[in-house]
Amino acid sequence: MNSAFEVPIVKRLEPASGHVELLVDSPVLAQGKPGQFCHILTPGTLRRPVSFSRLEPSTGLAGLLIQVVGSGTRWLSDRQVGDTLDVLGPLGRGFAPPRLDRPWLLVGGGTGIPPIYAALQAWRDQVSEPVAVVLGAKTRDALIMVKDVRQLGFEAELTTDDGSQGRIGTVMAPVQEWLAAHPRSQVWACGPTPMLRALHGATQGLSGPVQLALEQRMGCGIGACLACVVPAQPESPDGPAYRRVCTDGPVFEREELAF
Amino acid sequence: MDLTVSLPRGLVLKNPIVAASGTFGFGPEYASYVDLNRLGGISVKGISPKPWRGNPPPRVWETPAGLLNSIGLQNPGVDAFITDDIPFLTGVDTAVIANIIGHTVEEYQAVAKRLDAQARIDAFEVNISCPNIKEGGMAFGHDPDQAYQVVRAVRMVTQKPVIVKMSPNLEFPGVIAKAVVDAGADMISAINTLVGLAIDLKARRPALGGGTGGLSGPAIKPVAVRIVYEIASNVAVPVIGMGGVQSAEDVLEFLMAGASAVMVGTITFQHPDRMIRIIDQLPDVLRHYGFSNLNEAVGAALGKAGAVS
Repeated sequence: MNSAFEVPIVKRLEPASGHVELLVDSPVLAQGKPGQFCHILTPGTLRRPVSFSRLEPSTGLAGLLIQVVGSGTRWLSDRQVGDTLDVLGPLGRGFAPPRLDRPWLLVGGGTGIPPIYAALQAWRDQVSEPVAVVLGAKTRDALIMVKDVRQLGFEAELTTDDGSQGRIGTVMAPVQEWLAAHPRSQVWACGPTPMLRALHGATQGLSGPVQLALEQRMGCGIGACLACVVPAQPESPDGPAYRRVCTDGPVFEREELAF
Repeated sequence: MDLTVSLPRGLVLKNPIVAASGTFGFGPEYASYVDLNRLGGISVKGISPKPWRGNPPPRVWETPAGLLNSIGLQNPGVDAFITDDIPFLTGVDTAVIANIIGHTVEEYQAVAKRLDAQARIDAFEVNISCPNIKEGGMAFGHDPDQAYQVVRAVRMVTQKPVIVKMSPNLEFPGVIAKAVVDAGADMISAINTLVGLAIDLKARRPALGGGTGGLSGPAIKPVAVRIVYEIASNVAVPVIGMGGVQSAEDVLEFLMAGASAVMVGTITFQHPDRMIRIIDQLPDVLRHYGFSNLNEAVGAALGKAGAVS
């Protein structure tokens, strides 16, 4: 029988202002897949879903990167080494691993960067084709985990909306350039809805799989309450079908979604 | 201590703790977190004749001691429920209550008729109180004549126990309660959620995709206890209480206000196994407050408002 369980925080990092990464000692969570999440108890009435920013099955460490946006994430960001978190997880459908015969394109926007890092960490020994990693954020401060990505041995193309680091603009310019040169790419992406919508459009007609990790305000986290839905196929004149981020996602195939 | 609850038309709950509709899916979702066989019952998610897509997201918003939701009764329809979920529920030893919904009187009746033939369904909960749908739903629960018609239509097609789930968004809950009992309701469950609104400050708009939402959780418990007390004082049928239950003490509070059983919902999102803990603790809590069995506690506080002597 599954249940919530407590995990100790063994390291606390502050990768940027308003961002905290908590590393927890939990072999169970460390067995999770990139793109999966755990649902963390907070003092309010809802748990908070947080995607894995790192997964290290050999050491039993899992990373949870939190951006402070409200009272729940504020409380989480105040947790210290030695505190424990009450978690459900790993939960949800993660990224499918790479196919060997296609170029890779990984795209992370803002707080969507951590799951992309977790994917690179898990798959770094499987590279057999050209790889592009595009990371974007509003400003230089929010461009997190860049050093971590480079330490894994990957080049990262950077963009910021204000041009404070990397190319000015969104991730879409380098994404379009890469896809024009490597149309057989397989794509993994996580980021804000406008970024995913743009990617959804830009990847239409590609032959390779396109996987998008979505975010939504969440209730139970295990598929019962139907709170965390996103517009999905089949779309009809009355509106889209709605599917659950917690159990049908967070990672969806491009064809499953309706933007 | 024997926690068995005997209700009208042979409905027996092994204990008074029932999973509240809309918080527990159709049963399978929580099966790997909760031993369903230990529950008094499960009121499944609201079922309509055809699939309903539900409201646009976001659908939940945290509030102080509460949760505002606007799910909009998304469900796959009665045929999918029979095909996909009844087989699973057949293997579970707990009372299964089918929560039924519709836009019209005929739709409520159609679902009741389809499910009346299902042996695994032990009772119906007629939801005339959901605040999150535009047509039907709560409108039926606010007008005594319409409430009567819906319940009458369901009563005509089933001999199974009929529970009617009442709205808290009423000035005189006792009036609706009497109407649905006259129409043949065997029991009343109360309360559904309270209509609320939250504003997303950053987005400068209502926080929920559906605009208003239904408030649940500890914030509404005193309202729920008051309405259960009023209904229990006004009608003779058993009442199933709910609203913000988090502990065995909360259960006892509802029992003393006149409830024969209690539904538990919002707390399950945080603590999937909380209902089991409540069931385990209830005998000790009853004994602690001087009750030697469950029935003694039911209605123990009714008719006792006034000065403490």
